[in-house]
Amino acid sequence: MKRAITLLVLAAMLGLSVAATAAPKMQLMVYTSMKEVLISELIDAFLKKNPSVRIDYYSAGAGKLMAKIATEKQANALVCDVLWTSEVPDFYQMKAQGALEPYVSPEAKNIVSPVKDKEGYFTPARLGTLGVAYNTNKVKNPPKTWEDLLKPEFKDGFAIANPALSGTSMVSVGMIVENLGWEYIQKLRGNGALMGQGSGQVVDDTAIGDLKACLGVDYIVINKIKEGASLGFTYLDKMLVIPSPVAILKGTKNLEAAKLWVDFMLSKEGQSIIANSFTLPIRADVPIVQGVGLVTPAEAEKRAMKLDYIKLMSDKEATIEKFTSIMTK
Amino acid sequence: MSRLIAARGSGKKFGGAEIVLALSIAVLVVIVAVPVLMILYNAFTVDGKLNIGDVVDIIKEPDTYMALRNSLIIALGVTGLGTFLGVLFSYLVARTDLPFKSLMKLLFIVPFMLPSFIGAIAWKVLLSPRGGYINKMFMDIFNTSRPLFNIYSVAGIIVVETMYLFPFVFMQVSAALERMDPTLEESARISGVPLGTIMRKITFPLIMPSIVAGALLIALYSLAHFGVPAILGTEIGFYNIPTLIYRKIHSSGGSFASIRTGTVLATILIASAALILYLQKLVLKSGRYSIIAGKSMRPMLMKLRRSKYPILLLCFVYIFITVILPTATIMLVGALKTYGLPFELKNMTLRNFKYILNWRMTRQAVSNSLLLSLGAAFVTMLAGTIISYVIVKMKVKGKFLLEFLGVLPFSVPGTVIALGVILTWSGRFGINLYNTTWIIFVAYIARYMAFSIKSNSAALEQVHDSLEEAARSCGATHWQSMKDIVLPLIKPGMVAAFFLILLPALRELTTSVLLYGPRTRTIGVAIYALNEDGETVLACALATFALLIIVFGEIVIRRIISAKEGGPSGG
Repeated sequence: MKRAITLLVLAAMLGLSVAATAAPKMQLMVYTSMKEVLISELIDAFLKKNPSVRIDYYSAGAGKLMAKIATEKQANALVCDVLWTSEVPDFYQMKAQGALEPYVSPEAKNIVSPVKDKEGYFTPARLGTLGVAYNTNKVKNPPKTWEDLLKPEFKDGFAIANPALSGTSMVSVGMIVENLGWEYIQKLRGNGALMGQGSGQVVDDTAIGDLKACLGVDYIVINKIKEGASLGFTYLDKMLVIPSPVAILKGTKNLEAAKLWVDFMLSKEGQSIIANSFTLPIRADVPIVQGVGLVTPAEAEKRAMKLDYIKLMSDKEATIEKFTSIMTK
Repeated sequence: MSRLIAARGSGKKFGGAEIVLALSIAVLVVIVAVPVLMILYNAFTVDGKLNIGDVVDIIKEPDTYMALRNSLIIALGVTGLGTFLGVLFSYLVARTDLPFKSLMKLLFIVPFMLPSFIGAIAWKVLLSPRGGYINKMFMDIFNTSRPLFNIYSVAGIIVVETMYLFPFVFMQVSAALERMDPTLEESARISGVPLGTIMRKITFPLIMPSIVAGALLIALYSLAHFGVPAILGTEIGFYNIPTLIYRKIHSSGGSFASIRTGTVLATILIASAALILYLQKLVLKSGRYSIIAGKSMRPMLMKLRRSKYPILLLCFVYIFITVILPTATIMLVGALKTYGLPFELKNMTLRNFKYILNWRMTRQAVSNSLLLSLGAAFVTMLAGTIISYVIVKMKVKGKFLLEFLGVLPFSVPGTVIALGVILTWSGRFGINLYNTTWIIFVAYIARYMAFSIKSNSAALEQVHDSLEEAARSCGATHWQSMKDIVLPLIKPGMVAAFFLILLPALRELTTSVLLYGPRTRTIGVAIYALNEDGETVLACALATFALLIIVFGEIVIRRIISAKEGGPSGG
């Protein structure tokens, strides 16, 4: 027994040291809040074009990613080269802190977006939208306005993802508060609305019927509908439209690879992959997928709720705290 | 009476035993003490200056004491229920004529192999208030909108944790019952003492150290448990201390202030744990017995008579509910095309499993977990044996400190061990392990040292000093008596320690969830993250593989042991 265990352990040690030391030439680590279905195809296509780059990605909620980056910085072991999330205030904050590397991609001129950074500290790479995802067995009259969500049909069954975990949720809450006021959040809570977990989990909770409906990110919901889930997806009168910026972190050792990646994401090919994953592209020359409930970027832009991102940057933590305390009371 | 073994050893030249001893103590200090001290240091200082004001502010927040209260409620509930079930089942298996005993004994340990957070995911699928499959069925049949049982509740958390933690008591107590000298009970019986009195006056006092040791493990574990409350509690805004720390750290974007908040919260837990340890000392002081007396006999079995088969049925129902139902649920959900569809053949697919097998992320997670758990279990087992020897058998001053240090990390939430390890091993002392597998390895050793020390101490306490003394008086050296007498006797304890570490480390979540880098995920992290991201079917598919690996590993390891020891080891 002893010998068997010793052998196992030796093998383990060897494996550990190998795992700890592998390091080829051109590397790139992308931290993103985009889900598997969206990011993996982009990565595959990028690899085909740039086989010399060993690209890796880490997909998690925006809150987690920022926590990870902060800890990496404190540990002086930054792994992240490129950040791509929907938590726009983070990018303004990081720019202000001098944590980003400016890069104006040659593709940047083709971009249409409500948020832009002329110096190229960050560049929107996708136009995310949130609508209401509802369980088709439970909701017979899909909501059309924000007021509809306060009706008895959604009592004790509507959720918004936890803004501390999800960047889209963070920005959504900011938009709702700026356009409809904290009173609206109070009223939602009065109708039994809940705070869920991540932006994916609220959709799954809706699919199984634990929730009647939730604020759902376009491509997450539509992908599940395509798989056959009992879900519907609809936009409300005032839309939640959130650009997802990509930025290169200052101090990266892989600047060249990072620039290649940003260029690829903004290229027509990259944007077509993004659009075909059921979300909105950032270029006018890339068509959206028809017939799944998406609206064109132009229409989304018109119906979008306004938001002062700079203000939200400083209010971010207070907003999360207040939202959490209302929703968990 | 026993001699001062340590005193004699120090008079001679510095031999192998002393080197190993010094090394183990060094390991304990560097791996365990420093991170914990770093936590305390960071909790109470800002920029190197003492700062009590902030600490008081954090403790005064309503969030904090609600979380502390919740942690205590969960710990009390789980410990009470788990100890009751553990003692009951171990008595049934060891001391009654229950049929299929060796099978039952194996089955009752199975829940320990199942990761509790995978169990929580399964129960979420089955019993979430409106969407859970069982609740849905119940509501359809009885045409009601009230669920049968809402798993998103304190009761739900307590029940789910108990299901997977009671084996701590079960294993400790059944081992004690088996090794107990039955002549004590028999002589009482022959003298005409009724069974109830025998149990109260002889059996229970003898197994009390094992019950307390097991209950203590449950208490410490549930006090600091992350997985189940994270999956079942956060949904309804119910936080215990570990999940509150997790939330705080994420909502502040990982700034240093939130790490400090975490360390302050952890300090509260360290204090509670120290209190529990102190109480345990008091309880055990009142009666300590050596229950291995060198001989062994089969104990008398209590006849269950007519209630034999009903009790057997009850045991099977328990196993079905805690093991088979959740496992089957995980596997079935893993085979669904998308979450929320009914379990019908047309909705089933093998695609998720194929995807998991080919996905680099999941493959990496599996190999990381295997390497980490084997390595940590081996190192921790060896170090723990030697440290336990010092604690139990040597009469050295200040060994309570050693014991406290060894058990300390177990009482600190894995979340905070992670913080301590980050603070210690990310360059501050010249070594930067951050984002490597090694930092998780170091954290695992710190985290599981308590398992090893507890298991080894329990084994050592049952080896009476007289055995070693006999060897020494026949002229054996210290090292010889240890190698030929003590080690063979405590080998089951060491092997137990190895598995007590290997299996939890294989599915570890709490610590690795804060330490993993993009390339160093563990199985637990991968499953938890998939679940949190709303990839429930993929999470279940991966969990299915994890369960298969765990069960397979268990079978292989048991084979190895029983083959080498040349006999049935009792499952």
